[in-house]
This record gives sequence, structure tokens and C-alpha cells, in this order.
Amino acid sequence: MNYGELLKLLAPESILALTLLLVLGADATFLSGRAPGLRRAVAASLTVAGCMGAIYWIFFFPIHGHLFSGVLVVDPLTQVTKQVLLLLTAATALLTLETAFTPHVGEYFGLQLLATLGFLFMVSSEDILTIFVALELASLSLYMLASFAKGNLASAEAGLKYFLYGGLASAFLLFGFSLLYGLTGETLLAKIAAKITTTPRDPLLVVAISMVLTGLGFKIAAVPFQLWAPDVYEGAPTPSAALIASGSKLASFFLLEKMMTIGLSSAVGSGAFHALAAGWVPMLAMLAGLSLIVGNLTALAQTSVKRLLAYSAIAHAGYALLGVIANSSQGFVALLFYVMTYGFTVLGAFGVVAVVERQTGSDRLEAFAGLSRRSPVLAGVLFVCLLSLAGIPPLAGFFGKFYLFAAILRAGAPSLGILWLVILAIALSAVSLFYYLQVLKQAFVREAPLELPFSVKPSTQLVLILLALCVILFGCAPDLLVSKLLLALKAAAPGLVF
Amino acid sequence: MESYLSIPHLLAVAGDEKIFGWVTPFVWYSAIKVLVAVGLMLTMVAYTVWVERRVSAFIQDRIGPNRVGIFGLLQPLADGVKSFLKEDFVPGHVRKVFFWIAPGIMLLPGLLSIAVIPFGSKLGEQDMVIANLNVGLLYTFGITSLSVYGIVLAGYASNSKYPFLGGIRASAQMISYEISMGLSVIPILLIVGDLNLGNIVAYQGGSLWGWFIFKAPLSFVIFAAAAFAETNRLPFDMPEAENELVAGYNVEYSSIKFALFFMGEYASMIAVSAMMATLFFGGWTLPFFGLDQPATTWLGGLLHIAIFLAKTCAWIFLMVWIRWMWPRFRFDQLMDLGWRRFIPLALANIVITAVVLWLKA
Amino acid sequence: MESLFFYLFAALAVVCGILMVANPFSRNPVTSAMFMVLTMISLAGVFVLLHAYFLAAVQILVYAGAVMVLFLFVIMLLNLKEEEKRKPGWVRMGFGLVSAGLFAALLLRSVAAARNAPLETAAATVDGGVKPLGLLLFTEYPLPFEIMSILLLVGMVGVVVLSKKELK
Repeated sequence: MNYGELLKLLAPESILALTLLLVLGADATFLSGRAPGLRRAVAASLTVAGCMGAIYWIFFFPIHGHLFSGVLVVDPLTQVTKQVLLLLTAATALLTLETAFTPHVGEYFGLQLLATLGFLFMVSSEDILTIFVALELASLSLYMLASFAKGNLASAEAGLKYFLYGGLASAFLLFGFSLLYGLTGETLLAKIAAKITTTPRDPLLVVAISMVLTGLGFKIAAVPFQLWAPDVYEGAPTPSAALIASGSKLASFFLLEKMMTIGLSSAVGSGAFHALAAGWVPMLAMLAGLSLIVGNLTALAQTSVKRLLAYSAIAHAGYALLGVIANSSQGFVALLFYVMTYGFTVLGAFGVVAVVERQTGSDRLEAFAGLSRRSPVLAGVLFVCLLSLAGIPPLAGFFGKFYLFAAILRAGAPSLGILWLVILAIALSAVSLFYYLQVLKQAFVREAPLELPFSVKPSTQLVLILLALCVILFGCAPDLLVSKLLLALKAAAPGLVF
Repeated sequence: MESYLSIPHLLAVAGDEKIFGWVTPFVWYSAIKVLVAVGLMLTMVAYTVWVERRVSAFIQDRIGPNRVGIFGLLQPLADGVKSFLKEDFVPGHVRKVFFWIAPGIMLLPGLLSIAVIPFGSKLGEQDMVIANLNVGLLYTFGITSLSVYGIVLAGYASNSKYPFLGGIRASAQMISYEISMGLSVIPILLIVGDLNLGNIVAYQGGSLWGWFIFKAPLSFVIFAAAAFAETNRLPFDMPEAENELVAGYNVEYSSIKFALFFMGEYASMIAVSAMMATLFFGGWTLPFFGLDQPATTWLGGLLHIAIFLAKTCAWIFLMVWIRWMWPRFRFDQLMDLGWRRFIPLALANIVITAVVLWLKA
Repeated sequence: MESLFFYLFAALAVVCGILMVANPFSRNPVTSAMFMVLTMISLAGVFVLLHAYFLAAVQILVYAGAVMVLFLFVIMLLNLKEEEKRKPGWVRMGFGLVSAGLFAALLLRSVAAARNAPLETAAATVDGGVKPLGLLLFTEYPLPFEIMSILLLVGMVGVVVLSKKELK
């Protein structure tokens, strides 16, 4: 046991924690009483600096190691994921500059950093105790972020709903974890998996798995645990919703994948329609199918763009679940690529929504009318992001889906039993194009009654353009990210076969 | 049928190992200890009330109750009879169930918390502690923390303004001071390295300077103040500040229910005094004449119990004394003292103790 | 003897838990809170039977003694009225009953399975005293311990922000 080594491995997290204290401290001391704009600018730049510092640290000091046999795992794969998470938070912080819903500036940015800390810990542990605590850290921060606009009833509703459902989901997760611990006497995922193989499949394990899936299904907003998502996305302040949709999704999916493929690797089962076998795969396949159907079909009827993004997020959770179901290293890479690019894309979309909402006071479809003339940049970004979400080549969303389908088909080969899910996904992908085009139609075809140009902060413009470029870049050259992820996965888990 | 219910048969069943196998000597001795301790405690409650009345009279240059028995020593008995015979009036607007259970809850924590306090060394073969728990200290804090329920429920059940305010004040005050009380004893745990109250007492044997009042004076000061606040005694008797709230949470109560509240307060006062003696004044030990070693004779055992009771009684007397000499704090001052003075002080105390121990090691 | 106490505490915890959320006699929030206190105390009893003395003491000290008092405090300050009875819709009731039924069936099956072949549950590896627990926390699990401290910071920041009155 060596606390020095612990500190060394946790350097990025420590940097983030220090930044957090700095943000809170600066806002409470010499910035108190100053103009909110200045306070926001300082807090945002500190936050971005902290995130960038952590990213650079990971980049220049690539140390790896397992501490306490898996309580802390620092390997290339977690490091890449952490870098992306930090990027997402930095972008969210910059987009926050566009909004002015709270006088508690330091606390808002502080909570964003705290949530990110939670994400980082979620990613870097393979021990159910640590996973649970990290998940709670992230969730609690997100509940606060969702209810941060205190004067706004919708925000309070969002926070309360998120909190109540989240608390229940955490209870389920904890119950599932405690059953796993009770069955095996271990808290480390790998050891749990080793113990499970020795006992015959017993019903209690099924209870445990379904409880764990209930808890994690809530975090990724898969049907039927999605009820919170639309209200939270709509009611929460836009940057909070953006963080919930991007960073939280990425960390949760990473966690889900590790939980399933490492911790429950001996209770896989099969989701093929002719050879159903008990395990987590058929359960996830059901969640995926339901999410795809409910998410895509309900999104058709939405008039609020944030709500529409919420339902589309539910649908995308369904797509991403295909990567987990594949239960292979290729599936893991496809999942990560998909969720990472989805994070960038949805952040861009939320950035545009934030601007439009601030200028017009609404996020209804009509508010987007004439966007292409009021602000060509915003319209361009929205165009790229929504088409990527719909999965149009050559954007990142297309290749994400492509890799997912390829991975799951390869994993199911040669029987092609899981084909039903893929067909469903492709069919509903076509449906999804309709509602994304609805938004774009407003932005590019409809005319607004009053076509004043939007004033957009330069920082927002920069972030949005960068995000859109990322989406295009990873669409045109997906190999940039995929090869990096593959290498990282190989280095992290050399045992996995490709 | 008759044969099953016949007395010889029942006795035979009772003697059967399977049914009453758990009635071991341990159970017998524990039962006796519990009975004696609770009996003693209740007697002390009664006489603490008498002491309070006499001492207050003395301080205020009055005479106090001196008519029933010699020096008024039978006064507690008379009080008890009176409160039993009085009409038990229940106002119409109260919430009945809570109104009934609140006085009962009030008395419990005081009685329960003496279970882990070593009130003597040994009497024959028996340790003079009801339950020798490894987490004894935590247990007492846990039980003490429950005592707030009686007051809060009484305030809520009474369903009128003054009791309600009293209940709110009580819960705020007790939660606040519980924290500094808990933090204040952590240095003692650090020094002893054990939560068992018996071991904490044993550690203080040897010399007078081994007592924690000298070894951890800051802890003592904070604990003492918190003890006054936890028992709602002056100078911290906000929950029943009579010139502000008439009588606080027990305004609506009368007869035996009121008496139970009264007894509950004194029971917790005695429990806190016993804790004080155990934690800071060496419990049953005295650093002279070899009285810090467990007794080998019955006389020695009884002497140890007497020493413990004497220390406890001294503290009770001090608490009574202070009540009639000091003015009351204002509520905001009380909160300020708790949160902004005692808690940081207690935290600093912990850190300093840890550093000193680290340097010594 | 021990199993007798276990059934006593377990039954008490379950019954009080049910009365906490679905009390047929009273819909008063204070009653619910008091039943929650009883649940906590029964759970502490179960912990004692598992020789987890520290956990039992802390359960009473923290949950029964502090958290629930705060609950009561808030309920009293808000002066909550009796909860109104609401009739849930048929669809919701149906879904709820079906999923609860499925879950109950699963649990019952695992209980039945355990009856035939006693479950191979892991034996306790650590004594529940203070010292082993502390050792474990500071040698094997310092990371979750530290994360907990950050978690508390989140709680603190959040509560201050959410409950602070906005000065206009």
C-alpha cells in the first residue's frame, strides 16, 4: 500500500479537484460582488484550464497501473476515455457562458467539475464499492445541476424528478451489488466473475443482474427506465442537460460495458431469437429494442427541441446498447466510438439550442424558424449535428452506427440470430431522419416573423465550430479515433481476442 | 389435556434444555445487574429532584421542601403519589398517539445508556458493567442521540405554538451539540486506541494526571458544554425557557405524563454525569491506595462502586449548582457557540492530538 | 436463539418498512418518519446479529439519531398536512402489479432454490469491530473513502445553493 502511488495515478483527478476548490474559492472571495459576466468568464476559464491541464497531464505522463488489484485501474483505455470526458466538460463550461440563469456562478461550475470527477472515477474503477460511490458522486452533482435555475419551476421539477427516480435507481443498483457481493464475497469485478462460474446459475443471480441493469439502465436512459429523461432535458438549464446527455452517457456506458463484460462475463446468455438463454444479453437486447422503438416513435410527436433531443437520446441509448450486447472487443470499441462522437454531436446541438433559447426565450420548433438567415454559423452547426444524429454519411454518426451493426453481426456470426435487433435498428434509423429533418426544415426553409441576426459569443461560436468539425472529421476519417481506441484496448486488455 | 397443563409437567418442560437452555448464569447475572442499575437510577432520579429543590432554595436563601420526612427526604415519594393521583388531562387538540408515546420515549434513552458504563470493577467474579461492548462509546452516543425524539414528538403532538417552538428548538440544539460532543471525545479514542469504556477507564488508572480532564482538557471543556446542551440544562435550556415559551415542549402535559418528562430529563442528566465520570475522571478508579486495580474482595468492589457513584453525584451537584447561578444564553448565541466555536475547536483538537501522538510514536 | 432474534428484527424491519410507505391507518408524514426510525433500529439489530457492532452503533447514531431527526425537523417546519389518497390509473396499476409480480416470482424462486440446496454464501472475512474496519478502509479501500469525502462536498455545496434565499 502506497499513498504516493495512489496520488500519482490519480494526478488528473487531483488537478480537477484543485481546480474545483480554486473555482469555488475565487468566486467566494475576490470575485464576490463583481458583475456576473466577469465571474462567469473567470470561472469558465479556470474550469477549462483545469480540464486542459488534466488532459495534458494524461497526454505527457502516460503512467498506467492497477492499484489494490482493481479498485483503481489506470490503463490506456481509461485514459483516452478520461480525455474525452474532460473535453466534453470543457466544452460544456464554455457553452455555459452563453446562459445567465443563476447568480451562483462558482457553485455551478464547481458542480460541473464535481460531476466530471464522478465520471472519471466511474471510468477508472473495477470494484463495485468504488463504482457505486463514484456513480453517486456523479449523480448527486447532476441532480443539483438539473435544478440549478431556482427561479424556474420547470428546473425544480426536473431536479426533483431526476433525484427521485435516480435515488430509486441507486437503491436498485445497490441491492444488485449487495446480492452480487453476497453470492461471491468479492467486490472486484474480475473476482466476482471468477466466483460466479463455479456456482450453477441460480435465480438469485438473475435477480442481481436485473437489479444492476435497472440501476444502470436509468443512468443511460434506456426504456423502461427513461421516464425522467424528457422532463429533465426540457426543464434543466441547457448546459446541465448537455452534460447529462454527453459526459454522463459516456461514463455510464463505459461502466455498463465493464460491469457486463468483466463482472458478469460468465452469465452472458444469448439474445438470438431462436436460442434465447438466460443472462444479461437477452435482458439488454430487450432494453435496446424497447428504447429504439419508444425513443424514435415518441420523438416524432415532439414540438420542443430539448424534448426531441431527449427522446432521440433514448433512441441512441438503444443503438449504443448494441455495442454492449455484442460482448466483444470490437463491440467495445464500436460502443466507445459511438458514445464519444454522440457526446460531441449532442453537445453541439445543445449549444445551438442554448443560444436560440436565450435569444427567443423558447426552445419550440417555431423558435428555430429562419435560423439559417439569423445566424448561418448556428444553422450550419445544427445541420451537421442533427444529420450526424440521424446517421447520414459521411458524418460521425453514420460510422458509429455502422461499426455497431458490424460488431454485433460479427459477434452473432455465423448464426445471425441477433439480426432482428439490427433490422429493427436500421428501420427506426430511417424513421429518425424524419424528426431531425423537421428541425432542419424550420431552420432552413421557414421564415421567422422578425429576422434579426442572433448575437453569439465568440467563445460559443468557436466551441460549436470545433464540435461540428470534430463530427465531420470523425465521419470522414473515423480511423483516427477507432485505431487509437483499438490500440488502447489491446494495451489495456491483451487477453481479448480480435 | 389436563396432564399437559399440570404444574409438574410445565416445570418439566421449563427445565428442558431446549426451551430454557438460554437461561445461563450469564443471563441471570445480567438480569440482576439490570434490575439493580435501573432501580438505583430511578431512585437517583427521584433524589436528584429533591437535591435540586433544596440546593436552589439554599442558593436563593429559601428553605425548600423540608416537611415530608426528615429534611424532606420523603418529598420525592409524595411528589410521585401526587402526580399519579392527579387528573390526567388530555387537551382536545392534540395528536393522540404521539401525545401518549412521547413521554415514554423520553425516559428510555437515559435508562438505556447506562448499560455500557462500567460502574465498578468486580464484585466476586462479575464485571460491574451490564454489557461490555467493544463499541461502548458509540453505543452511548447512539442512544443519547435518540433522546431528542421524545421532545420533538411532544412538541409536534401538542399541536400548539409554545410546545412546537420548544420542540423545534430542542431538535436544532441537540443535533448541533451532538456533533461537537462526538468530536470532542475523538482525541480520547486516539489516545486510548479503543472504544470500550472499560478500557478507557483502565487507561486512566495509575496517577491523577492520567485522568482525561488533565490529559485532554479541551475535550473536557467542549464535552461539558455539550453535555449541558444535550440535557437541556441551563445555561442552554432553550427548549423550555419558561419566560419565553411558558414551559416549552411539555406545556400541554399534566399528571404522570408530565412526571415522565421530568424524570426523563433527570435520567439523561444522571447518564451524562456518569459518562463524564467515566470519560474524564477515571470512572471507578482512584489513583491512591491501589484503588485503580480491579477489586479482589467484595469490600473493594463495593468501594469502587461507591467511588463511581460519588464522582457521578459530584457532577450532578455541579449541574444543579450551575443551573441556579447562571443566566440563559440567547438562541442565536447558542447556535453560534455550537457551530462556529465548538465544532472548529473540536476539529482542531483532533488534529493537534493526532499530530502529537504521531510525533511521540 | 440467534435465529429467533433474526426473525424478530427482520420481521420488525419489514413490517415497519411497509407501514412507513403504505400505512392503512394514518397518512401522516410524521408517522411515516417514525416508522422509518423503527426500521433503522431493527436493521441495527440485524447488524448486531452479524457481529457488525460498529455498523450497528453507527446506524443508530447517524440514521436514527441524526438523519431522521432532521427529517422530522423539516416535516414539522413545513407543517405538512395529511397526504391525500390518490387513485392510480388502471394502466399504471397494471404495469406496476405485473412487474412487481414478476419480481416477486423471481425472488420466490430463488428462495425455493435455496431451500433445496443451501446457498453458498460467502463467509464474513472481517470482524465487524472498529479496528479491522479502519484497517480495511485505509489499506484496501482508501479510494472510495476519499471519493466519499468529495461526495459530502457535493452535498454541502448543493444544499447551500438550493436552500439559500435569493436576495433581490
